[in-house]
Formats: sequence, structure tokens, C-alpha cells
Amino acid sequence: MLKNYFQIACKVYLRRKLFTAINLLCIVLTMVVLLVVTAMLQATFFPTGVEGKSERFLQIGTVTQVSKNNTRRSPLGYKIIDQYLRKMKTVEKVAAVTGPESVSVYQKDSVNEIMMRRADAEYWQILDFKILSGRVPTAEDVRLGRFVAVVNESTAKKIFDSTAVVSQKVVGQKINAGGQQFEIIGVVEDVIHMNAFADIWVPVTTFPSSQYREQYSGNFNAMLMGKSAADLPLIRDELLQVVKQINADEPTHWEHTYMWADSKLDFFARGILNRDEVPDSGAVQLLAGVVFFMLLFMLLPALNLVNLNSGRIMERAAEIGVRKAFGASNRELVKQFVMENILLCLFGALVGLIFTKLTLVWLSNADLIPYLKVDLSFAVFAYGFVIAVVFGVLSGVIPAWKMSRLDPVLALKGAA
Amino acid sequence: MFFHILKPIWKRKFKNLLLSLEILLAFCVVFGLALMSARYYQLYHLPTGFAYQDVWSVRMLSSGEFDKKNDPNVTENFQRSLSALPEVEQVGFINYSPYSNSTWRSDLFLPDNKSGFKVNLTDMADETPGLLGMKLLEGRWFSSEDEGRTEKAIVINKKLADSMFPGKSAVGQLVTDTEPGSKETKFLRITGVFEDFRNKGEFMAPTSFVIMRFSRAARDERMEVAMIKVKPGTSRAFEEKLNQQLKLIRSDWGYRISPLAEMRKSKMTEDTIPLMVIAVIAVFLLIMVGFGLFGVLWQNTTQRIPEIGLRRAIGASSRHIYQQIVTEQLLLSSIAMLAGMVLLIQLPLTGVLGDAINWTVFITATVISMALIYAISTLCSLYPAWRASRLSPTEALHYE
Repeated sequence: MLKNYFQIACKVYLRRKLFTAINLLCIVLTMVVLLVVTAMLQATFFPTGVEGKSERFLQIGTVTQVSKNNTRRSPLGYKIIDQYLRKMKTVEKVAAVTGPESVSVYQKDSVNEIMMRRADAEYWQILDFKILSGRVPTAEDVRLGRFVAVVNESTAKKIFDSTAVVSQKVVGQKINAGGQQFEIIGVVEDVIHMNAFADIWVPVTTFPSSQYREQYSGNFNAMLMGKSAADLPLIRDELLQVVKQINADEPTHWEHTYMWADSKLDFFARGILNRDEVPDSGAVQLLAGVVFFMLLFMLLPALNLVNLNSGRIMERAAEIGVRKAFGASNRELVKQFVMENILLCLFGALVGLIFTKLTLVWLSNADLIPYLKVDLSFAVFAYGFVIAVVFGVLSGVIPAWKMSRLDPVLALKGAA
Repeated sequence: MFFHILKPIWKRKFKNLLLSLEILLAFCVVFGLALMSARYYQLYHLPTGFAYQDVWSVRMLSSGEFDKKNDPNVTENFQRSLSALPEVEQVGFINYSPYSNSTWRSDLFLPDNKSGFKVNLTDMADETPGLLGMKLLEGRWFSSEDEGRTEKAIVINKKLADSMFPGKSAVGQLVTDTEPGSKETKFLRITGVFEDFRNKGEFMAPTSFVIMRFSRAARDERMEVAMIKVKPGTSRAFEEKLNQQLKLIRSDWGYRISPLAEMRKSKMTEDTIPLMVIAVIAVFLLIMVGFGLFGVLWQNTTQRIPEIGLRRAIGASSRHIYQQIVTEQLLLSSIAMLAGMVLLIQLPLTGVLGDAINWTVFITATVISMALIYAISTLCSLYPAWRASRLSPTEALHYE
């Protein structure tokens, strides 16, 4: 049966090549836009590579403190991470890292603005940076406050001359960043991910003053890694107790303190929807919003296909007449036409995937977004399939229903 | 004239309904893009009220609670030693730099009225307005003669002066930034009215703006940013020297030095990103709509070949046929766009988005998007119409 449908569909679509081409073009365009967005979201929420351990760690980005008519929201201070989070029983490792801040690098007579993070030793164990040469800071480097720095490939090229074997020569060089002298001990690959994005990393202990150790609010993000993904709920539970303790100890005495350990998706949802004071991050709403916008975007191309397909009834009139005369029900016909449409959409999705791949390669090479590297993953294939089916149903139902309602007598005569 | 063209449109109402719906959607997308572009264009051509050329901003980042307050000695030291550099013409303090993403909002009240005016604020030292080349309309800038007075000196922009003091001069008036009647009402004296200060740059919507006087001798909040007017032609190489000079004064602070011209560039890029994204999507959709219309019209004309044959047989010239097809399409587009306008006209009427949609912008956007949709409709109907007009009547009448 399906084989028959498939053969009929192929025949019909090859009959009027121009219209089939127009149909396909619309589908491919829509698919490419949606798949590029999907691939980007996938890479953001479920990263691989440097943040590949994402399913094992949670991150805390902000601490929110509330009293009657005041709310303070800021990244964490180092004291919270060092004195409280490190002492938690359910976590295996805790990393502290500052948000990226731009610093000026003076080299010979040129000035470069680059993004700097200060991190502790665990940061390098939780994230899997690809080391191109040299090494990354050890616990000892951090403990002794050595002025060592890790730079990424682009920065190494930008600051020290752009030859291919640059990384060999960069290790051991001195760099003056933000008025401090560092020795470069390693070069890592460029990455854009949320916790990994920076141009230069230095130990947290190289701050000009040690005041940061006493601060409850500052410029730090924390990453809490469990032994496995199953530990994460336990970490969240223990964090609630820890936050109560912090609220009691904090000298400025706020009424409530809120901190949430989030997965990537939760982290973004909480940020976008401003849910600082409730446990639920609103990830479901965020995803619903994304899906809604995708459907909205599909509406116009779908209408377009509806119009094109409605016009193609003419070609099928005789076929429909015969099928009806031999007793095919309306439902069966609708099923068949929708299937055909889905088939065309799947083919379009396949072509769309090829173009998506090309677009992503172009995006990764063009410097629109620094260090962006997005590629197709299996998940994107799966999403592509789902999107194609949804799109096929969306654009196939109305014309199919109209086709099935043709009067068999007229249809046999071929007058639609 | 149109009536007999409307008739065949009405006969195919279901198909035409879907087609007009598609045109309507496309129209809305284009309209959104045109509206945004028109508004950006309009904003870009308003005066920002200050000059960014040859001005550098230095953010002085301290850590710790103690440094949040202004230390007169340190500030005086910065002022003196930076002014002494040969490349520097002028130094002035401000609490956050123009073209940065910070915003500071508050309410301003008349002394005898509980309803406030929403304003954007910034603090500046006496030198800063002159350094930024701001334009004064009446009164005077605050200066050292306001030192030690009970009321803090402020200057306000024209927009706020017009709304707070319609029909009279704002200079010398007292206002307050705490609700009148509360215990610790602090009064502020307006010393002058300036043109405008759109500190977020060219794409910022005009707001009511207040600049408060910062006194270097007071122990208020510390000014985090020093604005430095450098000699024309100073290169970025000066940055290192400047940084060393700053480190001499407070070595434990971090410094972010960037010329306003650079900050302006990156702010503009940031502001135009949404426009670019929408433009790319709109172009995609329009290409699709174009192809779709072309396909549908082609099919329509093919279906109507017998009808066209009949018209030719009773004496219609090929030009008539041509006209009929194109006019029908334009009429259909007009109907769709009229429906769209009925929806879109609500935007300026209800004032949902406030100042962002004024009539100038709205009408410009309408004209642009209508022209574009008409152009696409005409282009897409030309080829099918041409094919239809070239049919010979005999063939057309026989067409099955």
C-alpha cells in the first residue's frame, strides 16, 4: 500500500517539474532556517567538547538577596564558593571562575582588547579544554598565586605574530594584561561555550588585592560537579541548606537569599524569564516559547504550500475520480495526500540538511560570532525529521481535504 | 470598472482567501521590518547632544565597600595628574560612560505635586558637559559656585523642561527626587536647560534626562568613569602611558580604557543586530512568497484558459487579457493589505509602543511595504499574464 502511494507520489511530482521545484525550494528554505536555529540551540543547551561533562555538573550564576524594598542580584562572591560550596558533601568538585572581562594587552606598541577570566584549579578539571601546547594551571600554581596564564589560539596568533607554528613559540613568553605581567604556560583551542569562553585565563589568586576572598557578591560563577548525573538532585537539595546558612552568616542581613544550581537549559531559562526567587527555572515555558515561534515562522511557508497544492488539484482530477468511483473514502484520500506531502517535506528536509551543513560551516568560518563551532549532530537530524513531519501535516491537510471533496462525476470528466 | 474584475475574484473566494492571507502575512512581516528601519533612520538623524570625537572613557574599577565612596584626595589627584599629561586637553568625571549599557532611572517631583516624571539620570562633574561639547539652551551649567549650597544643582534636557514646566522657564526652579511630604525631602535646583543627552548613542529613543552635579570635594558615591578629552590625532598607543599614570595613583584598581569612538562602533553593531536578524528572515520569507505567488498565478491562468479563449473569441485584445490578469492580482493584494492596515493602524492609534511608532514612521513604513508587496505581485503576475495573452482563441477554446 505504502509502496503504491510512494510510486504515485513520485509520478505526480515528476509530472510538473517546475511546480515541484518551487514547492521544494520553499520547503528547503524553511528547513534550513529552522535547522540552523535548532543546531545552535542544541549546541548551547547540550554542549559537547569542552563542556562535554555538562550533564554531570550544575552551575550557579547569580545570588539574589531580598529584603523589604531592596533586591540585590549579582554574580557570586568568592567567599560563598570557597567557604560554603566547597564544603558540600554531595559534590565531587567545585570550580570558581569569574565572568569574562575585557582587559587591554600592551605588546610592543599595539593594544589589544581581550577577554580575561580568573579561575581556580578545579575549573581545568571540570572542563575539557583541548591543549594545543604547554599545560594548564595546577592546584599548586593557584595555591602559590603564580602569575601564569593560558591563552587561546586566536589570541596567541593576534598578539605574537601569526605564523602557523605559533603555539610552540608562545609558551614561556611574557604577556602584560590589564597592567599585570603573566608568563604563558599553555595554549588551548578557541571555544565559545558559556563557562569556557575567554581569550586568556589566569589563576584566581592573581587578583591585585585579596579582598575578593571576603566577598559574598562579586564576579564569580560556580560549577558543581557530581560523580554522575544521578547526583544532581542531591546537590540541589543540599544547596538549599547551604543557602540558609549563607543567609544567616551574611553581615548585611538580608531577609532571603536565593541561589539555584542549574543545568544549561535551566540556566538560560532562569536568565531570560527572570526567575530568581522560585525553584522552577521555567525551562518548559522557554521550550514552549521556542516551539511556538518555530510554528509561527512555518505559518507563511505553509500557507504558500497550501496555495500551491490547491492549484495542483487539476492534475489529479482524473485519478481522484477513478479512486472515488471504485469506492475510496474521503478519509483514505486525505490520508494519501497528506502522506505525499509529508514525503515531499522529508525529501526537502534531506536537501535542507545538506544546505544547513553548508550554512553552519560558513557560520563557523565567518567571524560573525567569535569562536563559534556548530555542527550537525544526531539530535539535529531527529529534530529535522520532526519539523518536516509537522510542516508536512500543517501544509497538507487543507489541500487534501479540498481534493477529497471533488465530485467524482465531474472529476472523471476532468473538470475541477 | 472594478466590479466586473471583482466578480471572478469572488467566484474563487476560498482559494483567493488563502492567497490573500498569505499576502497579508507577508505584508505584516515587511511592515515590521520597514517600521523598525524607519524608526532607526529617524533616531539616527536626531542630535545625540554630545560629541564623541577624541574623547576617551576610563573606567576605574575598585573592589571593596570602602572604595564605593568618593575620596576627595584621590579624585583631586586623578584630575591633576591626568590633566598634566601632554596628550590630554581636559578631564571630567561621570558615573557611567556614554555608549555603555548602564542605565540609571528615577522619578522627579514638583514640590507641590505627588505625580512624578520618569527620568534618566547621570552624575557629572563641572568639567564634563563642556568636555562632551553639550549644547546649553538656557540658564547656565552648574559650576564651582554651586559648591556648598543646600540644594544640589542639576540641569535638565529640553524634553523634560517642556513637560515639567510647560509655558514657563525651568531655570531656577526647585524639584525633588523623593516623594513630596516625606521626612527627608532633598531639593534640587535647576540651573540650566540643555538640548539633549542621548547617552546610549544614535539609536536611543529620546528620554527625559537629568544631570546632577557631582562635587569632587563631597563624600558621595564615587564616580566610576573619567572622561578624557585628548588632543586630535592621539593614537591608541597613548593607552599604555595613560594606564601607567593611573596605576601610579591607585595600583590596586583595575582600569578599562577605551575611546568613545570604539564604544560607539560596538554599541551600534549591538543595536543593529536585531534589525539584521529580522531582515534576513524577512528576505527569506519574501523569496518564498514570491515563488509561491508565481506558482499559484501560473496555475490560475492555466485553469482559466477556456475562459480567456472565450474572451479573445468575442474580441478582447491581448492587451486586455494582460490587464485583466495583472489588475486582478493587484486588486487581490490591495484587499489583503487593506485588511492588514485595519490591524496595523491600531498600533499608532492605541499608542501601545508609545513614541516608537509615530505617524511619520508609520506612514513611511506603510508606503515602503505597500510598494514592495505591489512590486512582488506585479512581477509574479507578468509572466503568467504574458502567456495567457499570447494564446490563440481557437486553441484556448479547445483546451481541456
